[in-house]
Amino acid sequence: MTISAPRMKSPVSAAAPARNAHSGVSGRTFNVVAGIVLVVFAILWLIPGLFALKTSLTDNGTAALGASAILSDWNPTLKSYASLLGAGDIWNWYIASAITSVVTAVLTVFFASMAAFALSRLRFRGSGVVLLLIILGIMIPTQVLIVPIFKELNAMSLLNTYWSVIFPQVPAVIAVFIFKQFFDGIPRELEEAARLDGAGRWRVYWSLVMPLSRPVLAAVTILTFVGVWNNLLLPLFVLSNPDLMTIPVGLATVQGSYGQRYADIQAGAILAALPLIILYLIFQRRIVEGVTGSGLKG
Amino acid sequence: MTTATIAATTPLAARGTRHANTASPMQRNDSRSAWLFIAPFGVFYLAFLLGPTLYMFVMSFFNTSLVHSGLGTFAGFANYAEMLSRPDFWSSLWHTLQFTLYTTPPLVILAFVFAVLTNRLNRGQWFFRLAFFLPFILPSATISLIWVFVFTPSTGLWPLVETWFGVTPGSGVLSSPNTAMIGVAIATVWWTLGFNFVLYLAGLQDIPRELYEAAAVDGASTWAQIRYITIPMLGRTTTLVVLLQIIASLKIFDQVYLMTSGGPGISTQVSLQLITNTAFTDNRLGAGSAASVLLFIVIIVIAVIRQLVDRSAARKEA
Amino acid sequence: MAAPHDKEVVNEMAMSNGTLSRRGFLAAGLGAVTLPLLAGCSSDLGRTVASGLFGTRLPSETLVFWNLFGGGDGTRMQAMEAGYRKRYGADSLQATTFAWGNPYYTKVTLATVGNKPPDVAVSHLTRAKPLWNGDLLEPITDADLASVGLKPSDFAKRPWDAQRTDGHTIAIPLDTHPIVMFFNRDVCQKAGLLEADGALTALDDMDRFESALEAISKVTGGVAMTIPNVGGETATEWRVFWTFYNQHKGVSPFLSDNGARLTVDEDVFGDVNDRLQSWVKKGWVNKGLDYATAESYMFTGKAGLYLEGEWEITTAQSVKGLKFGMVPIPTLYDQPATQADSHTFVLPRKDRTPEERHQAMLFIRSMLDQSLTWAKGGHIPAFRRAADSAAYKALSPQSAYASAAEHAVYDDPAWYGGSGSTFEGIVGAQLGLVQQLAISPKDALQAIKDQLSVYLNTPSPL
Repeated sequence: MTISAPRMKSPVSAAAPARNAHSGVSGRTFNVVAGIVLVVFAILWLIPGLFALKTSLTDNGTAALGASAILSDWNPTLKSYASLLGAGDIWNWYIASAITSVVTAVLTVFFASMAAFALSRLRFRGSGVVLLLIILGIMIPTQVLIVPIFKELNAMSLLNTYWSVIFPQVPAVIAVFIFKQFFDGIPRELEEAARLDGAGRWRVYWSLVMPLSRPVLAAVTILTFVGVWNNLLLPLFVLSNPDLMTIPVGLATVQGSYGQRYADIQAGAILAALPLIILYLIFQRRIVEGVTGSGLKG
Repeated sequence: MTTATIAATTPLAARGTRHANTASPMQRNDSRSAWLFIAPFGVFYLAFLLGPTLYMFVMSFFNTSLVHSGLGTFAGFANYAEMLSRPDFWSSLWHTLQFTLYTTPPLVILAFVFAVLTNRLNRGQWFFRLAFFLPFILPSATISLIWVFVFTPSTGLWPLVETWFGVTPGSGVLSSPNTAMIGVAIATVWWTLGFNFVLYLAGLQDIPRELYEAAAVDGASTWAQIRYITIPMLGRTTTLVVLLQIIASLKIFDQVYLMTSGGPGISTQVSLQLITNTAFTDNRLGAGSAASVLLFIVIIVIAVIRQLVDRSAARKEA
Repeated sequence: MAAPHDKEVVNEMAMSNGTLSRRGFLAAGLGAVTLPLLAGCSSDLGRTVASGLFGTRLPSETLVFWNLFGGGDGTRMQAMEAGYRKRYGADSLQATTFAWGNPYYTKVTLATVGNKPPDVAVSHLTRAKPLWNGDLLEPITDADLASVGLKPSDFAKRPWDAQRTDGHTIAIPLDTHPIVMFFNRDVCQKAGLLEADGALTALDDMDRFESALEAISKVTGGVAMTIPNVGGETATEWRVFWTFYNQHKGVSPFLSDNGARLTVDEDVFGDVNDRLQSWVKKGWVNKGLDYATAESYMFTGKAGLYLEGEWEITTAQSVKGLKFGMVPIPTLYDQPATQADSHTFVLPRKDRTPEERHQAMLFIRSMLDQSLTWAKGGHIPAFRRAADSAAYKALSPQSAYASAAEHAVYDDPAWYGGSGSTFEGIVGAQLGLVQQLAISPKDALQAIKDQLSVYLNTPSPL
C-alpha cells in the first residue's frame, strides 16, 4: 500500500553524499551547473515564504500599498504579531490545535501500536479478517467520509468539542501497518527470553517492544501531530464556533472587519506555521524519514 | 484475499524475514489477549472509519437533512440520478482532472531534477531539503494565505514580477476562470514538491553505487549515466509518485476552498467542495452522501489500480 | 549460562528504556490533561478549553455576535459595536466576522446544529427564512420587543412584513438595501440630463429612459450604462432582472411553495431580457464587464449610469474628484419596484437565561439606535425613528433614493433562495449570458429550468 517499506534506518538524511566515483571533467562541470541551478530554484522556493515574513514585519498601512512598497520598506515592526497575540482569539486557536494534535497523536500511537503488536506477535483466530479490514481501511479515503462523520458526531453531541476533531483521526490504519512492519523485524529471541522470565504479553509489549521501537514511535507521533495540526476539512465543519477552532480554521474563516490588513494576515499565516517550523528544525531527520517511509499524507 | 494480499503488498513481509515460519513464543492462549490488544483501535476503527463508510452508503438513499435528526424519507436512487445528471458534478470531476494535469508534470519532473542534482552535492544538502521540503509540512491555511497575497491583483508580488518581465498584469490570476486553477496549481506545486523530492532522494540512495562506477569506467558521460541508470532505476518511484498524486488530486479541497472557494463562479469547484456544499450549505446530507459514494468509488478504483501496478512491479523485481 | 545473562541484559535494557518511554507517554498525556487546568478554570481561556473538552457552556458574560460585513460596512459595524461596548463595558461583546454569503450561513447553521451558536447573528432577511424553516431561529415575541422599548410599528412596513413568517417575528430588520442607479454628474450634465438644482431628470418611462441612454452614449462615445455580468458575478444580473420583472403589474412570483414550483411569467421574462439585449446590441449597455471594471466605467466617465446596490456608495465616495448621485431605478413599466434585501438581527436557537435573552435584545436595540452610522454606508434605515429623523434626511445622496425602500421587492422564499444563494447563482449566471448576447432569453429560461429542476424536484431538507 502506501508504505513501500518503512525506511526507519535513515535512508535520506544520512545521505552518503555525492557519488564522487565519476570525477571526470564532464562530471565536475556538471556538478557546478547542478549547484547553480539548484541554488536558483531553492531561492525561488524560499521567496514566497520570505515575502510573507517580510510583509508580516511591515506596517499594515504600508503593506496595503502593495508588493513594491513592502519590498522597499525598511522599518520592520512587530506590531502585527503583537496585535494578533494580544487579541485572544489566536490563543484559543493555538490551544485547540495543541490539544487536538497531542491527544490524537498519543491515542493513535498507543492504540495502533497495540493492535500492531497483536497482529505481529500473537496468534489468534480471525487475525486474517483483522488484516483484511486493515487493508480495506487503508484504501478508505477519510476525507470523503466528512458527511457521515458529521452526522455521527452530531448524534453523539460531540460537535464543537475537541473530541470531534480527535476521534475521527485516531483510526489511522496506516500507523498500524507501519508499526506491524517494524515489529515484524524485531528478533523474536529477545521476547522468548523475556517470556521465559515470566513476562506477560503486556509487559513484552510495553517494556520490550515499545522501547525498541522508539524511532518508529517518534516518526508516527510527529507525523500524526503534523497531520492533525494541518487538517482543515474536518475541523472546518465540526468546529463552527470561533472560540473552539483550530488555528488553520480560525485563520481561514474569521475575517478582520477593517478591510485588508495584509501584514496581520501574513503574521497569522506564519504563527500558524511556527510550531511546525520549530518541529521541523528539531526533528528534521525523523520527519523526512517518516514521510519517505510512509507517504502518510494524502 | 487474506494473508496473501498482505504478503504481496508489503515488500518487507514478502521478502520473507527470518521468522516468517518460526513458531511464535506466544502462540498459546493468545486469542483473548490479542483481541484485548486490538480492541481500543478496533473501537475507533469501527466507529469512525468503517461505520461512517457504511452509514454514508445508507444515507445516500435517503433525503437526510442537516437540520433534522434521523435519516428522513427514503429516496431510492434519486440522489444518484441527480448527481449523475448535474453538470456541476461532472465539472467538479473535470476540475479535479485539470488540477491533476497541471500539477503532476511539474511535481514529477522538478522533484526528480532537484533530487538528482541535490544528490550530487557534497555539501549543503540540508539547505535544499529545507527549501524544498519545509513547505510540505506547513498547514494549507498558511500556504493559501501566502499565495492569495502573492496573487493579489495589481499590487501583489506576482503582478510586480510580471511587470518586471514586461507583462501587463491582468485582473488577477485567481479572479479569472481561465487562470484560477493555474494559480491553485502553482501554489500546490510549491507546497507539495518536497514530498516527491524526498521520495526521489530516497530512491537515489537505493541505486547501487557500483552501477555508476562501472559506467564511469566505461567512459559514460554524466548525462548518459542519468539517462541509462538513474531514470530507469527510479521508474518505480515515479510510478508511485504519479499514482499518489492522482489520488491526492481526487481528494483536493483545502487549497481550492481557501484560495478561490471554487470560483470565479464554479470554475474551480472540485468534488469534495460539491459534497460539502450540498451537505452543509444546501442542508442535504443525503444528496451529499450520494456524491461522496461516487467519489469514494472513483478513488477506490484508482487505489486498486495502484495495488495492481505495485504488485506487478514487485513481481518484476522478484 | 549464557541464556540468563542475555535475559538480564534484555530485561535491563527493556526496563530502562521502558521507563523512559513510559515517562514520555506520561508527560505527553499529563501535558494534554493539565494544560487546560494550568490555563486556570476561572479564566475565559480555561473555560473555553473546558467547553472544548466537556461540551460545557462557553464563557457567557460577553454577548457573542456574528456578522458577515467586510469593507465599509465592516468598518461601520465596528463603530457601532464600539458604541455598545461604551455603554455596557469593554468586555461586554465578542464580535466575529465571517466571509460573506454561503460560507457565513453555513457557519451559522452548523454552529446552531452543533449547539454553540452566537447570541445574536446578522442575517439577510431572505436567508432568515430558510434558517427559520430549519428550526434554527427563535421567534421574537412582542414582549421581547417591549422589554427594550420597541414595537412593530417602529419599523418600516416592507421589511417588517417581509420577515413575518408563520405568524412570528423571526428577524429584526436593520435596513433595506435596494439596487439603485448611480450616475456620473459630469456625463449626465453633458447629456443634458441634470435639472437646474442638480437632480437627475426623471426618467420614469421607457421612451424617456432609452433616449437618455442614447444621449449618454453620444457623450461617452461608448456605453451609457454598465451592469457587471462576468468574472463570477451573478447577483447583479439577478437584481436588475428582478427589478424590471416586478415593475410589471400582477406578475407571478418566480418561485412558489417555498421553492417547489417554478412559476415565472415566461412572457415577462422574455420581454425584460429582450429589452436588455436590445440595449446591449445598440451599444448602450456593456456586453461583458466584471464588477470592479463596470463600476470604474461610471467612476471615470466612460459610462454615465451604473446599476448596483447602494452599498457601493463607500467606494464611490473614496474616488477622488468623482461627482456622482444616486436615484431609485426608474420605473420603466407599470409600477415602481426595486429588488432589495434587508440586513436583520436573528436569535439562533440555543439555551438562554432570561437575562441573556434580554441582553441580546439590548444589543439589537443599541444597533438600531445607531442606524444613522449604518445609513452612511448607503443602507436605508428600517428603524423609523432613524429614517424619519432630520439627520437622515440631511444625508446626501442617501436620502435621494430612500423612497426605493417603499417599493422593495424581496426574492421569493425558497429553501435554496435568498441573497448570495444557489438560486441567485444559477439564474444570475444565465441572465449574465443573455446580457453578453451569448444565448437567447428563451435558451436561458430553458437552462434555468434544467438547472433548477434538481431543487424544484427535491423535497426541502428544512
